[in-house]
Amino acid sequence: MFPGPDKDTIVTDTAHPSSEPATAPAAPIWDGKLHSYIPASDWQTRVSPDLPLHDDFEAEVDPVTYEVIRNRLWTINIAHGETMTRISGSPSFQGLDFNMSIAAEDGETIMNAPYIQFLNGGATFGIRYILEHYSGNPGIHEGDMFFGNDPWISATHQMDMQVNTPVFIDGRLFAWISSAAHQYDLGGISPGGWPQGAPDVYSDPIILPHFKFVERGMIREDLEQVLLRQSRMPDFVSLDFRAGLIGSQQARDALIDLCDRFGAATVKGVMKGILDRSQESFKAKLRRIPDGRWSQVKYSAEALPGDKSVMRVQVNFTKEGDRLTVDNHGTDVQAPAGPAGITFSPFMGAVTTVVALNLLYEHLFAIGGAFRQIDFDVTPGLLNTVDYPAAVAGGIGNVQLNVYAMQVLVSRMLSCDPELASDIVGPDPDYPLFVVQGVNDRGEGFGQALLDGFANGRGALNHRDGIDSGGPMWSPLTRLLNVEDVEQWYPLVYLYRRETADTAGAGRWRGGNGATWAVTPYRARTMAYEANAFGAAVSVVNAEGLFGGNPSTAGSHHHAAGTDVAERFAAGHIPQDLAALEHESLTRLPGKLNATTFAPGDVLEAQVMGGGGYGDPLLREPARVLEDLANGYVSREAAEAHYAIVFSSAGDIDAEATAAARDAIRAERATWTLVSDVHGAAAPVEALAATGGPDAPVHESVVARDAGGERVLACRHCGEILCGYRSDYKRSCLMLEAPLTEIAGAVDPGPLVDQTVLFRQICCPGCQTMLGTEVFREGDPMMPDMLLS
Amino acid sequence: MGDSNYAIGVDIGGTFTDCIVVDDSGRTTIGKTTSTHGDLPTGVLNSIGAAAGQLGTDTETLLSATRSVYHGSTVGTNALVEGRTSTVGLIATRGHGDSIFMMQAGERLRGLPPETLAHVAAQPKPAPLVPKHLVAEVDGRVTFDGRVLVPLRDESVTEAIDQLIEAGAEAFSVALLWSFANNEHELRVRDLIHERLPGAFVSLSHQVAPRPGEYQRTVATVINSAIGPVMDAYLGELEDALQGAGYAHRLQLMSCSGGVIDVEEARRSPVLTIGSGPTAGVIGSRALAARTAAASARVGAGAVVVDSGGTGSGPVGSAPAPANVVTTDMGGTTLDVGVIDGGRPLTRPTSRHGQFEYFVPTVDVRSIGAGGGSIVQFNEDLGTITVGPRSAGSIPGPACYGRGGTMATVTDADLVLGYLDHEFFLNGAMPLDLDASLRVLEAAGAPVGLSAVETAAAAARIVDSQMADAIRLASVQQGYDPRDFTVYAYGGAGPVHASGYARELGVSRVVVPLSDFASGWSAFGVATSEAVVVREMGRASSSPFSPAFFNDAWPDLEAEVRRRLLAQGAREDQIVLERIVDTKYRNQFSVIPVSAPPGTWDDEVVAEFVGAFEAEYARLFGEGSGSASAGYATTGLAVRGVADIGQYEPTIHEPVASDTAPTIKRTRKVVYYEDEGLAPRDVPVFDGTTFVHGMTVAGPAIIEYPDTTVVVRPAQTSLVDEFGSIHLLLP
Repeated sequence: MFPGPDKDTIVTDTAHPSSEPATAPAAPIWDGKLHSYIPASDWQTRVSPDLPLHDDFEAEVDPVTYEVIRNRLWTINIAHGETMTRISGSPSFQGLDFNMSIAAEDGETIMNAPYIQFLNGGATFGIRYILEHYSGNPGIHEGDMFFGNDPWISATHQMDMQVNTPVFIDGRLFAWISSAAHQYDLGGISPGGWPQGAPDVYSDPIILPHFKFVERGMIREDLEQVLLRQSRMPDFVSLDFRAGLIGSQQARDALIDLCDRFGAATVKGVMKGILDRSQESFKAKLRRIPDGRWSQVKYSAEALPGDKSVMRVQVNFTKEGDRLTVDNHGTDVQAPAGPAGITFSPFMGAVTTVVALNLLYEHLFAIGGAFRQIDFDVTPGLLNTVDYPAAVAGGIGNVQLNVYAMQVLVSRMLSCDPELASDIVGPDPDYPLFVVQGVNDRGEGFGQALLDGFANGRGALNHRDGIDSGGPMWSPLTRLLNVEDVEQWYPLVYLYRRETADTAGAGRWRGGNGATWAVTPYRARTMAYEANAFGAAVSVVNAEGLFGGNPSTAGSHHHAAGTDVAERFAAGHIPQDLAALEHESLTRLPGKLNATTFAPGDVLEAQVMGGGGYGDPLLREPARVLEDLANGYVSREAAEAHYAIVFSSAGDIDAEATAAARDAIRAERATWTLVSDVHGAAAPVEALAATGGPDAPVHESVVARDAGGERVLACRHCGEILCGYRSDYKRSCLMLEAPLTEIAGAVDPGPLVDQTVLFRQICCPGCQTMLGTEVFREGDPMMPDMLLS
Repeated sequence: MGDSNYAIGVDIGGTFTDCIVVDDSGRTTIGKTTSTHGDLPTGVLNSIGAAAGQLGTDTETLLSATRSVYHGSTVGTNALVEGRTSTVGLIATRGHGDSIFMMQAGERLRGLPPETLAHVAAQPKPAPLVPKHLVAEVDGRVTFDGRVLVPLRDESVTEAIDQLIEAGAEAFSVALLWSFANNEHELRVRDLIHERLPGAFVSLSHQVAPRPGEYQRTVATVINSAIGPVMDAYLGELEDALQGAGYAHRLQLMSCSGGVIDVEEARRSPVLTIGSGPTAGVIGSRALAARTAAASARVGAGAVVVDSGGTGSGPVGSAPAPANVVTTDMGGTTLDVGVIDGGRPLTRPTSRHGQFEYFVPTVDVRSIGAGGGSIVQFNEDLGTITVGPRSAGSIPGPACYGRGGTMATVTDADLVLGYLDHEFFLNGAMPLDLDASLRVLEAAGAPVGLSAVETAAAAARIVDSQMADAIRLASVQQGYDPRDFTVYAYGGAGPVHASGYARELGVSRVVVPLSDFASGWSAFGVATSEAVVVREMGRASSSPFSPAFFNDAWPDLEAEVRRRLLAQGAREDQIVLERIVDTKYRNQFSVIPVSAPPGTWDDEVVAEFVGAFEAEYARLFGEGSGSASAGYATTGLAVRGVADIGQYEPTIHEPVASDTAPTIKRTRKVVYYEDEGLAPRDVPVFDGTTFVHGMTVAGPAIIEYPDTTVVVRPAQTSLVDEFGSIHLLLP
């Protein structure tokens, strides 16, 4: 009945000993109840036979018609987004907190829009859930629209309402228009839908499995009243609903027009072609990368306010030939309480993100076919596959942890091909977030997030520094709102919002810097804030460094209470630093905090960090450091500490002294400990005989080559042989394990978390070039970041 | 020559300086000379001299009898694009000097092609408009309500000024938060700059762009100062040159908002002239379409001519049909699309300079990277032939130009398909290398097994459909169906491709305005533009609306607009004022400009205004899409004044007998990509100069003018209207 892959590409039965709950002997049931929904291989058998499908397609569409229709699909998505932005009044929509997709009649995603890439990664699942469960009752008809926000089915979190609209041609189901967008307020224990203090889903905003909200072109008024009754902001949410509805309608009509013009079978032929070509392209790209397994760990902190735990997320990519297997083994079991994890749908969204932007960008967000080559081997009940009824609305930021882990994996894989390596982009930092709520002095309520974290710096590339205040990689168009917009919506004024030196990871190429901003109440009757940092953004660490670059360290949330800011203002001064203010108290806030009074005279400050660095900082040309110094992107202290720059008395670089200082640091590294002395030798593996092949890069600083009849891994800089081809090269390196404050400028996470987090630097035993940096929770086993097979 | 009887429009292009002289009877005379880079005023005088020669007189005599000289200047645009700008020092509110570096994060990428959006490894920020050391911050803070939260501390200002002078600032931009709600701090900063540096060029953000949104306002203010000194000097020279040659009135400059502005305003706010070139084309189309509509109404339905819009011509004696036109200007690198609705060009509040977005009310001309120079190539990843957005530009240009271009382009495809004649390009002034085109197209198509001709046909079809998509996005997104519109096609490649993209769009009529003048259409637009003055007030209100709120604002705004128009030489009876209110449902973010009733408001008028908003909203988003229960809000008031000081009346040609036909120069092999496969067919090539009002040519055909080639596709018909424009009628 449904065309499509014969094989169900989702494999889900593998239990992993290290993290599987002890009492789970049976294969998990992925039905969207306890565990997330993953369509079973026979899901199509449950679709009502009464639903006529339009699955004719023209097998050979000429290349020109193909290109014409492909462009038109792109235009339909863009127009859909623009319409939603124009209709909604929500700051979230203005920040483009949405994405939309066009899917085939069976839900396979043809093309996404270029907005937040993980936001509608569940489109396929949402559509298949509707087909599987509702095609008989209440039925799927022309003019219908299904809304739903259940994260165990297909939403990322409850605030991102998904709208799935069937498109009928000649009375038969031809395709779907799908969107997901962050609503203003859908109830729950805290305004705006980011409840930090939610122990479980029953304190979250309302959760809605898919339901038919628009029936044959008419909005169900009874249901709208039911929904609006849940919201603190019904007038805003009513506009958000209409934005979703009208945007989908226009996209549907445009797709029908396209079929009128070219014929439905031709359009479907192009859709299939788009899927096939992205699949083929993905296969070709994978074949350029050696087989192996790559692993990356990320940490988040504070499951909910008051908690001080450090939690581990691990993602592993195993690449064999032209297939990729994604697993989450090694991830901690979900937290007993609090919004600390994500369901499987946003985890899928994370994969969508890195495929769309880091692996298959040439396909312009039309990457559905790649998923035919991806197998999932996921264990339920972990932090990236949480089970019902975990709180999830406030934890959505942790989807980014998974995105960033995957970005590191992709970066390592791309480094194996000199041409693909230029597409490496290091990860972004996590995101500090304040939600403000209250009533202004005109009696109008408000309650939403301050989105200034979109001023984050981006990760370094293999040939360029990261972008300063570039905004999140996972949503290329995300808009940092003007201060003059925000000050209209909320009763506060900004003291400053500026790019900030030394907020990125150092490296041969540095990360882009982030930003710092501070606000104080203005014309508020009542005001409170919640803090909701994602990951471990303000407590432990941010973006990973790649290939010996430094990570970006912790950002911050500060609350200065009872300050003299009013007196300073009156005297004609705008303070630019919390330290410049007299205050009753100055508190470094944890990442997660329940509603706290924000009184006149108080000042809140937040700092979002930049991206990670790339490559050994000692390899950075001194002239670049000097230029950064002039532009305020690096401080003199950091120039000295990270880059060993020695300044002459005139303020120029003393080249000779700098070279000597760098040599001295390398000499110091030569005294570090051999990794295997502490963590044991690498697990024994069968040696790979010499292949006779040329030297081949497998890492920015590691090359595979033949030596002594064997294929080995060696340092690319000095030629030092590290290990056999299939072994863990790190075990042969020198390392230093130290507190995080080893990174110059880093703040001790100690007060905010109750587990020790350490920093490990790994360098070549031959030339002492830094090969890698790792942040780890004390006691976690050292793990290979790459094992070639 | 008598009294001041002439209006002159001058447009300086990269190659030619075009001049059009319009006399009081509407007769037009064209002067075309090569541009004189390095001394542009001389080229202006040369082109006026060329027109004077046609009129049998000399430059001085013509200019002394001229009542207005209108000028479209690209001096500011070019200075900006080429980086020949003044060193600008930017003064910002303490704590906010980085706004211009942050560029609103991803917002900077909006409008860039999908290839750039998707490729996150290739999205660096551009070099900053102002380097960090040329930005200084001052203490002083206004809030959203216009109150002063922090008084301006003069000492911090003088420190900032000294710092910027030290850093080499030649001109200054002052962009403080909320200055449009309270301008006293910006004015004070200006005074302090002038105390220190009398005569320095200073732009104030509340004057350049009185709108909320500090990033876009700051960019506008910086650009204004960056090109201020160079424009000021150029316009001073030009005024001197014109006056030296006998011109006794004030120079008028084309602005990007669609009207002409007085030279003094252009010297103060040169940012208003950026992008005025594409705007001029839209304005020229509007002027011609309005006259055509009027003529159509005079003649009535069923006449040989021509309704100007898809709304059709009315019965005899009815009011002119409103002009509904999509303008399409296809040049070497871009297609510029504008929409004229009911005789009025659509406008928008921001423009872009590369990744920098700035507030300047401008005619909404949207560009996509599709032009004659767009590169045709096989894309390995997509497995298809793609066209653009990369362009070979004019240097090296298409392979057939023989200037070293090695990539196939749309122009190469046009040549291979027989649309262009390699011996008659630019009236034979520039022979094209057909073999080179064949070679590069064959190479581009080889990976998918296409021959050179097949690749050319594919490229033409792809680019036509891309342009149709862009036109559709530009119109549908504004709530218009392009099928209800007439397409105006001009620019070097527009008349070649219009029959193709119009077909894709499903429109039924294409107009090539004034035939051969289509390649220099901007000068016509400049000469026929109106004086337009817009004054805005960034004051917000919400329902229930108080009539007094509006009544307090309108008189001052209207008086100011009227005063400026009179200063521009408009007569009182020529001035038409319109009130515009930016309106939304209370909780919305985006506003819709609503045309508001004149006179003194009472509750009834308020209700009428709200009704107008509801109707416009329903038109944009569909019936029932509104959200009245939340109430309404307005964010700004504006008055737009228009005075038709050009008074162009086109020459009307009497029709020739219907059995006469234009001269066929020759036939040549032409390939059309649709319907009949790719077999070349013999197609007659008509001499356009013999194609006049009353004649009809059935497609397939090519109509060649010295500077313009019109491609008529099979089943299409072309005719010439009473003004000399070509109409293509599509089945």
